[in-house]
Amino acid sequence: MHPFDIKTVLFAKHAQHVVLIHFPIALFIIGVFFDFLAQWKKQRLLAAVAYYNLLVAAISTVPVVVTGILAWQWELEGQKLKGLLLMHLVMGCISSVLVLLVWFMHRKAQRKQGDALPGYCLPIEAVAAVFVAVTGHLGGFLSGVNGAG
Amino acid sequence: MRRSVFVVVAGALLAIGLVASVEGRRGFAFSAQDKTSMTEVKIDNFSFGPSALTVSVGTTVTWVNRDDIPHTVVSTDDAKTFKSKVLDTDEKFSYTFGKAGAYPYFCSIHPKMTGKVIVQ
Repeated sequence: MHPFDIKTVLFAKHAQHVVLIHFPIALFIIGVFFDFLAQWKKQRLLAAVAYYNLLVAAISTVPVVVTGILAWQWELEGQKLKGLLLMHLVMGCISSVLVLLVWFMHRKAQRKQGDALPGYCLPIEAVAAVFVAVTGHLGGFLSGVNGAG
Repeated sequence: MRRSVFVVVAGALLAIGLVASVEGRRGFAFSAQDKTSMTEVKIDNFSFGPSALTVSVGTTVTWVNRDDIPHTVVSTDDAKTFKSKVLDTDEKFSYTFGKAGAYPYFCSIHPKMTGKVIVQ
C-alpha cells in the first residue's frame, strides 16, 4: 500500500463506500417517513421536506454506486461474485434504481400537478424503503457491523 | 511349569509390543498433526489465526475461511506475492513459500484484518 496511490486513498483502510452509504440510507428513509406524514396530515411543508430529502438521497446514491463498483473492480479485480457479495450487489443496484425512481416520481408530480402524488407512489416508496433497509443490512453484515466482528 | 512361564513371558512381550506399537502410532499422529496445524491459518470472527506464523522455506500455508462472511487473503509486500479469490465459508486458499522473508497480508474486503507469514 502506498499513501499516494489513488486506490489506497479511496479504499484501503478508508472504505469510502462504507462511509458514503449512510447518507442515502438515512436521507431516503427519513424522506419516505416525511412523505407518508405529508400525505396523512395533508401538509405542503412536510411534502417539501420529503422532496428535498429524497432529492439529496438520489444525488448521494450516485457516488455510493460508483465507489461500490470501483471497490469490486479494484479490490476484488472484478472477479465473479457469489453468495452475500452478489446478493449485496444485486440488492444495491435495485435499491439505487428505486431511490432514483421515487425521486423522479416526486419531481414529475411536482411539475405536473403541484404536490399531488399518484396513488401508486407511496407503495413504491414503501417497497424501496424495504429494499434499502435489506441492502444496508447485508452491507453491514459484510463489513462486520451487523455481525459478530 | 516351564511351559506356563514361557506362555506368560510370551504374552507379556506381546502385550508390551502391542502397547509400544499403538503409542508409537499415536505419537507419530500427534507430531504429524502438529506440523499440519502449524501451516493452517483459520479465518474466523474477522481475524486470522494465528495472526503471525513462522514456517520454513518450501512450506505450503493454507488459509481456511471458517467465518460466515466472505474474505480474501492478499499479500501487501511490494511484489504482491499472493492474492486469493473471494473465499466463501469453508473455502481454502494455499500458497507455497519458496523464499525466506516476511510476508504481511490482509483481507481486501476488511482491511483491518491483517496477518503475517515469516519464512525462515
